[in-house]
Amino acid sequence: MKRISIVSAVAVAGAMVLSALPAQAADPGVTSTEIKLGLSSPQTGTAALSYGKLPKAMKAYFDYINANGGVYGRKIKLVARDDKYLPTQAATQTTNLVLNDKVFALVGALGTATHTKAYAAAQLAKNNVPDLFVNTGFSGFDNKTKYPTTFLVLPSYAMEAKIIAKFIADTPTLKPQASFLIAQDDEFGIDGVNGFKLGGHTFTKAPTLYPQGGLSSALAEGALTALSAAPGKPVLVLMGTTDTTATLLKAAEKLSLTTKFNWIVGSVGGDANTLLALGVKSTTIDGVMAASFFPDAKDTSDEYVSQFMKINEKYNPGVSFDNVVLQAMNSAMLTVQALRAAGKNLTRAGLIKAIEDKGSTFAGAGLAPLNYSATSRVGYNGYWFGQLNAQGELKPFGGKLTVYTTDSATSAAPVASTYARKSIPKNGIPSN
Amino acid sequence: MHKISANRKRLFTFILLGWALLLIGDRIGELRQYQGAFVAMYALAIASIILLTGYSGQLSLGHSALMAVGAYAGALSINNLKLNPVIALIVAALVAGIFGLILGIAAARLSGPYLAGTTLALAISLPTIANQFTILGGEQGILFDIGAPPARFGEGFSQYKWFFWISSLAALIMIWMISNLMHSKFGRVFRALRDNQTAAQLAGINIGRQKAVAFGLSAGVAGLAGGLLVMLISGVSPSAFPLSLSFSLLTGAVVTGVYDLKGVMLGGLVLVAIPEIADSVGSRVGGSDGFTMALPGFLVSALLILAVLFLPNGPGKLLKKKM
Repeated sequence: MKRISIVSAVAVAGAMVLSALPAQAADPGVTSTEIKLGLSSPQTGTAALSYGKLPKAMKAYFDYINANGGVYGRKIKLVARDDKYLPTQAATQTTNLVLNDKVFALVGALGTATHTKAYAAAQLAKNNVPDLFVNTGFSGFDNKTKYPTTFLVLPSYAMEAKIIAKFIADTPTLKPQASFLIAQDDEFGIDGVNGFKLGGHTFTKAPTLYPQGGLSSALAEGALTALSAAPGKPVLVLMGTTDTTATLLKAAEKLSLTTKFNWIVGSVGGDANTLLALGVKSTTIDGVMAASFFPDAKDTSDEYVSQFMKINEKYNPGVSFDNVVLQAMNSAMLTVQALRAAGKNLTRAGLIKAIEDKGSTFAGAGLAPLNYSATSRVGYNGYWFGQLNAQGELKPFGGKLTVYTTDSATSAAPVASTYARKSIPKNGIPSN
Repeated sequence: MHKISANRKRLFTFILLGWALLLIGDRIGELRQYQGAFVAMYALAIASIILLTGYSGQLSLGHSALMAVGAYAGALSINNLKLNPVIALIVAALVAGIFGLILGIAAARLSGPYLAGTTLALAISLPTIANQFTILGGEQGILFDIGAPPARFGEGFSQYKWFFWISSLAALIMIWMISNLMHSKFGRVFRALRDNQTAAQLAGINIGRQKAVAFGLSAGVAGLAGGLLVMLISGVSPSAFPLSLSFSLLTGAVVTGVYDLKGVMLGGLVLVAIPEIADSVGSRVGGSDGFTMALPGFLVSALLILAVLFLPNGPGKLLKKKM
């Protein structure tokens, strides 16, 4: 009897000690029925003209997934906050998402000057908050020590510049012409100028750099007038956001200089639908060359485009389908695959590890390979070159679509990729 | 009975306020600490407007640019001169003050819409000019990292509480100094300038010099606020100081009451709270995208109209009347 009492006492004491130990705290933003994600992007202001569709398009895809069972039974809730493309707003809104909305992870943040501030202010590294599929090509985010939780989705602007340099060198009609660069004086300019140097291309004149949001019509007209003095049909590369590409093209229309240049626009600023919506004439964009890592958003024969169009029509009614919508839905699809790859016992650390381990195998609309690994945070790592027609369709330059891949840091020449894109998961619903 | 001087009374009030703020900082969550730090920073920036407009009668639409000057000076002090962040904030105030003084001398002959136009041009052009110098980091900007809180405060002392302490104490000390200044000879001279420049000149006041001094002091306070702003977002870049910031500060000053410093905290609170209230109302009431996006602007406009109609001299005067 006495022995039983001692055993009971030890058992009770053991149980008390065990119950006093803290249970492993679950990460915020995940319950048995819901995963809360956060997005800070411009919904108002001038940048919203180009990127305002981002939150709703992502939400539309998540709604579609939720209607089809969610991720392991959990519905995805996207909390979107408007940062107006301003660093102060991005910092406060992202902090709000983490501390107030208590999101599990951030997804699809946009902009470099904005997101660098937001990352530090919201202490994403300290709190190990996954920072998924950031919409910028700034190669600085590929610094795992500084941004341990960040994964980019766009190829870097340096890669893009290297591939544009190769395109100019390989195209007989462009190679002998004078060449100029007009770039936004931020990551586009920094990475772009470096990329052209790495790609061995020297412009005829030092690049014209303008501040973010600071390219007025008058400045655009001045820059184009100065460059138009060059003989022949110079190559003019534009690396900036779509609204500034529109400003430059409209300035060329006003000055009757649309046919003076061989226009090459970067992937970020080359969305034909947005350019047309911003008032650029269809005759102006006809013949403009553009880099892209996605299929053309008007190409309904592409299985990703056609599936995303159907989802957009049902869950995002009244919103026209363009590159931004395609990009947003693609990022949302990558997010769902990442969440699934992290397993049913979802943790922030598990999600980051899952992308490092399996991210390069995710299905996506991009025609270049995904580059995620334990050491790389870069998403797509290549581009193909196309030419816009008057309908705003991007057709492969020379009739053949060739994707080139490269890196951001070396002078190694871009190489033609043999990557075969994965088929879209059945009905666009990942089952990895 | 021994009578306490007005100066001592103010000092005692500010010490009490500081003590209350430290207690509040201990009892609120990290988000509120972060927002509180913004409130204090905005309050300080509004105080700089009140000092210039309310007390010396000069109108500035370019205070966001003066904040930017302080912010860049502070950031360069940390990154290039490796100064202590507290010293860097003092440098921010000093450099902006000197810049403001020079601007004040240049603009001493201007008044009313001409001065407003000049400062507006400054607000538009200065961030763009900042893009042209590689040392300022272009559009990317440069880091402003004050580092982790001192270890002696313990592990539980968060970065946000550290921000709250620095921002609140800086705002309190600076507003206390302005308050003392306004009760000194300088304050009387500034008010004389504001009320009647001809009479002030006849009384022997050097109008141009005093206007420049007022501009310099106001710019110094704005520079410190700029330093605090970029501390809170961990970096400085031109787009952190849009023209809209200048207008927001003016809005805060009107709500506060441009002739009185007593309501500056309320002004700061309004600037931080309006987007939050709009978000909350928008999500509860629902409605179209246009409604949700227009709501913050509508609330600010309504508040401005109400302030002008019912509290033209600010809530501080109301408190005084009741007391």
